[in-house]
Order: sequence, then structure tokens, then C-alpha cells
Amino acid sequence: MNEYKFILLVFLDAAILIGLLGYYIYKSSLNPEGDKSIKNPLRKRFFFLIMLSAVLLILLAITIPKSPYFLFADKPPSKLVFVDAKQFNFIMSYQAINPKNPSAGESIELPVDQPVEFRVTSLDVNHGFGIYNSRAELVTQTQAMPGYVNRLRWEFKEPGTYKILCLEYCGLGHPVMSSSFIVK
Amino acid sequence: MASLSLKKVSSAWIITILTLFICAIVFGILMRLNQGNDIKLSPNGFYTLMTTHGLTMIGIWTVAGMVGIQYLLSRYTTVSAKLNVFALVLTIIGVIMLWISTFVGNFHTGWTFLYPFPFYIAWAKWATPLFLWSLAVLGIGWFVWSVGILVEILKKYSLKQAFAWQHLSKKDPEVTTPPFILIATVSLVGIILCLITAVILLILFFAEYYSNGSFKNDPLLMKNLTYFFGHTLANEALYLGVALLYELLPEVSGRPKFKMTWYIALAWNFTMIFVLTAFFHHMYMDFVQPLGFQMVGQLASYFASIPAAAVSALSVIFLVYGNKIKWSLTNILFFIGVIGWMIGGIGAVIDATISNNIVLHNTLWVPAHFHTYNAMGNVLFCLAFFWWVANEFAGSQETTKSHKITIGLMLIGGFGFVLMFYIAGAASVPRRFAFYPNELQIGMTTATWAAFFATLYLIAMLAIIWEIVRKCIRVFYSS
Ligand code: HEM
Ligand SMILES: [Cu+2]
Repeated sequence: MNEYKFILLVFLDAAILIGLLGYYIYKSSLNPEGDKSIKNPLRKRFFFLIMLSAVLLILLAITIPKSPYFLFADKPPSKLVFVDAKQFNFIMSYQAINPKNPSAGESIELPVDQPVEFRVTSLDVNHGFGIYNSRAELVTQTQAMPGYVNRLRWEFKEPGTYKILCLEYCGLGHPVMSSSFIVK
Repeated sequence: MASLSLKKVSSAWIITILTLFICAIVFGILMRLNQGNDIKLSPNGFYTLMTTHGLTMIGIWTVAGMVGIQYLLSRYTTVSAKLNVFALVLTIIGVIMLWISTFVGNFHTGWTFLYPFPFYIAWAKWATPLFLWSLAVLGIGWFVWSVGILVEILKKYSLKQAFAWQHLSKKDPEVTTPPFILIATVSLVGIILCLITAVILLILFFAEYYSNGSFKNDPLLMKNLTYFFGHTLANEALYLGVALLYELLPEVSGRPKFKMTWYIALAWNFTMIFVLTAFFHHMYMDFVQPLGFQMVGQLASYFASIPAAAVSALSVIFLVYGNKIKWSLTNILFFIGVIGWMIGGIGAVIDATISNNIVLHNTLWVPAHFHTYNAMGNVLFCLAFFWWVANEFAGSQETTKSHKITIGLMLIGGFGFVLMFYIAGAASVPRRFAFYPNELQIGMTTATWAAFFATLYLIAMLAIIWEIVRKCIRVFYSS
């Protein structure tokens, strides 16, 4: 099962569980026989909160190291790609782009299984830089903000054509703002 | 007790809020139909609807909570109906200005109006200042209102008591703070901080606008300010709704009032702090943001949820489980609202995990989770209050109607509508796309289904709103 389905399934399971629990509690209030109400609520609440905090702390410890800021940080990138976003296209080049006279270089081809780095900025408003694989799954992303350069490192595991979509709303052309590159 | 003038202005508020709500739902359905390729709006049409929908919805469901707080506060201390009228007048003026800037001026930056987007003018020139001024009018009105309500609380309770600090050190303090007062105080303080930030943000915008560009802002700072204001306001709005639940749910269920305990006091004081730094999760994908903020973002997002949500959910479970409850529409709405809040909270925690955010940031997962705890959470809390207060106005809480069909439609429509967002979000479909590229076919299919479910939700809302408004109108004829 892939990551996307996994996230959805975890969520749906939790949601259904909460829904069923709600229904069960509601039912218990319709015709209670005898006194079934919960004893010692304070102690039970304390216990539950401690458990919940523990679960969240464990989740923090597992997930934080997987943050994008730490990914491939110690591997020097084999290729650099400069990206300047503007309403409503992406300018990409292996060389640094002159903001006064921005122009794209040759079309981008990246090596498979090697870390590459995108240096992403914007020439006007905020944009997003979302990389989609050939199955239209979002692989990774960063924001394109004027005046700042976000460095996104990634290692592509699969060869193919990757599509870029803008993932920050930037105006009327936002849904058609796209580009692509090849991984071989 | 609520004076007649407070009743009248509350009625006027409720009618205004619910009218705007119906319009905003219709805008939402039109957006979904367009995304499903069932109707054809121009991009300009779509994005003006999106901007109006987002700001109107957040606005009305924040003030809805404030209306409820002020009304119920009249049980504890004297409240000023004039303050309430003042806020209503400024809100109506602000909303009219806002809608003119979007629908006539075509202003369409989305609710975020991220700097420098408002200055890249693709609409009528006058729409940018009108839009910013409309927010200023709304901000000033709500700022005065929330400060006023806080002052009203402080007439009866000292600051320490309003935060229930005496419950942290003593087991049985002489003065007990009702949970309603604590949660209202905590939320109002948060709202005041948001509004101060909004004013700073607007001043920075105006400085650049009126200096004709000789003063330039910093995009990273502006983004942080925007999300601090927007995220925190949306959260505090929900907590206002929760305060209404604490006050009314036991009462209408025929159960003893919630008592303040050191747990509840601690939980809400914690929430006040954590909720103020959770907004950093909006900027996970801005890698230039200091790393420490990113870590704080995930930590605070997790621990903003525990105290408030878990403590409240447990309180409700203990109240209901195994006890004979007199169910009416009021407590049913509160109860379903808690379930919606929890489910939306799970969606939020998943998205607030940085390693998931890489593939969820700015996908439809984001509207998925916040629509869950708004449309199926806070909206229901506030509607529960509206329903209860309308019956107060009419003089009786007794109704023989069971509302089974209405509740069924609301459940299927509401949860079906948000489920479509979750499915599309997990399938990488971006948010804020007026239409989807061909490879994201699933975005279109889910959008059409969502429009269908949202229509069911709208029908249920119309049925509830109709009865509320009918009873509210009668208040104007009473003396
Ligand atoms: C059934 C009722 C509703 C429908 C059909 C609806 C529909 C929509 C749609 C289609 C979008 C745009 C999604 C996208 O990014 O592609 C949206 C955005 C939004 N909605 Fe709703 N919505 C509903 C209820 C609510 C409620 C109750 C609230 C808040 C209390 C709300 C607040 C927002 C906000 C803040 C946005 C973001 C706007 C932006 O991106 O600038 N909506 N809604
Ligand atoms: Cu864009």
C-alpha cells in the first residue's frame, strides 16, 4: 500500500471509530437500566490524558526526523536546478537566473537515484512548486516566495516525466501554471 | 438576565448571520460544481466566489460565537446591548464593502491575501484599498466588541479568577469560576491578539500602498503575520462555540452543570498558549523559516489539541454515557458537533505532521479538515445556541418534532461533503484550483459528488434555519 492510501485509511478508521463510539454513547443514554454512569471520572480522565500525551510524544519522535529539512542534508547534490516562478509559469535552468532578464535554459533532465537540489524563488507573488510523478501523485514540494530562496533536495527513485504544478494560489492562471522535467 | 434590547439585537444578529450563511453555502456549491465540470464559471467568477466564501464564513461563525457569549454572559453580569449594536452596524458595513470589492471590483486573492498579491492588480484599481479597508472596519468593530465583553467579565471576576487560576492552587476556592467564563476569557484574549496582529498587518499593507512603493514589506514576515491572524482566529472561533456548549449542554440535557476542576483550568490555560504558536504549521513548506519555528509548529499543533479537545470530549462522554438524557435538537447538535470536531481534529493532526505535510500541504486535505470542524463542528455548536435562544424567545423549549429527517440529511450531507475533500486530498488534488488538469480526474468526480452532498446539507440547514428565523422575527414585535 502506498503512502497516500495509508494516510487516508488511518484517517477513515479513526473517523469511523469516533462515529461508532458516539453512536454507542448516544444509545446508552436512551434507556439506561440501573446506574451505568462512569465512576471515578477524574481518575479515568487523568489516565486517558496521560496515554494520549504518550502516544503523541511517540508520534513526534518518529515523524520529526522524516521532515524535509533533514532529508539528504549530508549528501552533496549531483545537480542544481534554479527555479524562478512568476505569474503564470516556471522558469528553470541549471544556471542561476538573472531576475532582471529571466530566461530558461535547456530543458531539464535529472539523474535517477542521485540527490538533486532545487533552488526555488519567485519573481512576483507567492507560488508553490509541487512535483508530481507520472501517476499524478505529489512527490514533494516547496514554496516559491519573492525575496527568499527555498532549497529543496530530493532523490528520484523512478525514471519518467515529472510534472510541476503551482501549489500556492497566485491568480487567475493558477490552475494552468505548470511545467515538467525528465528523470533518466 | 437578558434585557429586551439584548434579545432584539441578538435576533437581528442571528437573522443576518444565517442569511449570509445560506448565500455562502450556495457559493460553495457553485465552486464544487465548477470543479466537477458541471457548470462553467470564468476563473474570475470562481475566485471571487472563493474569496467571498472563505472570508464570509470565517467572519460569521466567529461573530456567532460572540453573540452567544454575550447573551449567556447576561446570566452572570450586566451586558451592554449598545456594544452589540455597534458591532452589528460595523459588521454589516464591513461585509457590504467586502462584497463590493469582490463582486463589483473583482478582487480575488483568496482569504489569505498573501503579500504582495493584493498589489499585483488584476481587478479594478479601487478594489485593493476597498478590500483592505473593509477588513479594517470589521477588525475595529470586533476589537471594540471583544474588549468590551472582556471588560464585562472583569466587572464580576478578577483577572486571576477569569483564568480560573485559584482552582490550580486550592481544592475548594471561595469563588468558583464557571467553565463558560474561563473558556470565553481565553478565547477573547486570543481573538484580541489576532485582531491586533491584523491591524499591524493592515498598517504594513497601507504603508506600502500609500507610499507608492517607496516602503517595501518583507514577504516572510507578512506571511507569518497573515497565518498567525487567520489560523488563530479560526481556532478561537471554535472555542467560543465550545464555551456555549459548556454552559448549555448540561442544562438542556437535564444534568448537573459542569464544575470547574483544576483539570479544566489547566487544560484551557495550556490551550491559550499552544494555540498561539500552532499557526507555524502553515509554513512547513517555507524552508527559509527558522527550523525552531517548524519544530514548535508540530509540537504546538499536537498539544493544542489534547487539552481542549480531549478534556471537552471526555466531559461530554461522562455527561451522556449511561445517563437518561432528554434529547432535543439543541443537545443533538452539540453532540454531533463534538464528533465533527474530533474527526476534523484527527485530520488536522495528520496534516500538522511535517513528514505528511510534504504530500498534503495545499491539497484538498486542508479544506477537508477545516470544513469538518467548521461545517460539522462549530456551525453546529452555534446553531444549537441559536435554536435554544429562539425557543427562549418563543417562551418554550418544548417541541414534539423529532427532526429525524433533518438530522439524517445533515449527517449524510455534511460528512459526505467533507469525505470527498479527504479522498481528493489524499490523491494529491490541489486546493484552490478552479478546474483540474486531466490527469486529476478524481478531483472532478469527487467535486460533483461533493456538490450533491452539500445540497443535502443545505436542505437540512434551511429546515433548521427557517424555524429559528421565524421565532427570532417575533421578538421585534414584543415589548
Ligand atoms: C456545505 C457548506 C460548504 C460548502 C459547499 C463549501 C465549499 C467550499 C469550497 C468548494 C471551497 C474551495 C475549496 C478549494 O480550495 O478548492 C471552500 C473553501 C473555504 N471554505 Fe467552505 N464550504 C462550506 C462551508 C464552509 C464553512 C461552514 C466554513 C467556515 C466556517 C467554510 C470556510 C471556508 C474557507 C475559509 C475556505 C478557504 C477559502 C480560500 O481558500 O481562500 N466553508 N469551501
Ligand atoms: Cu499559483
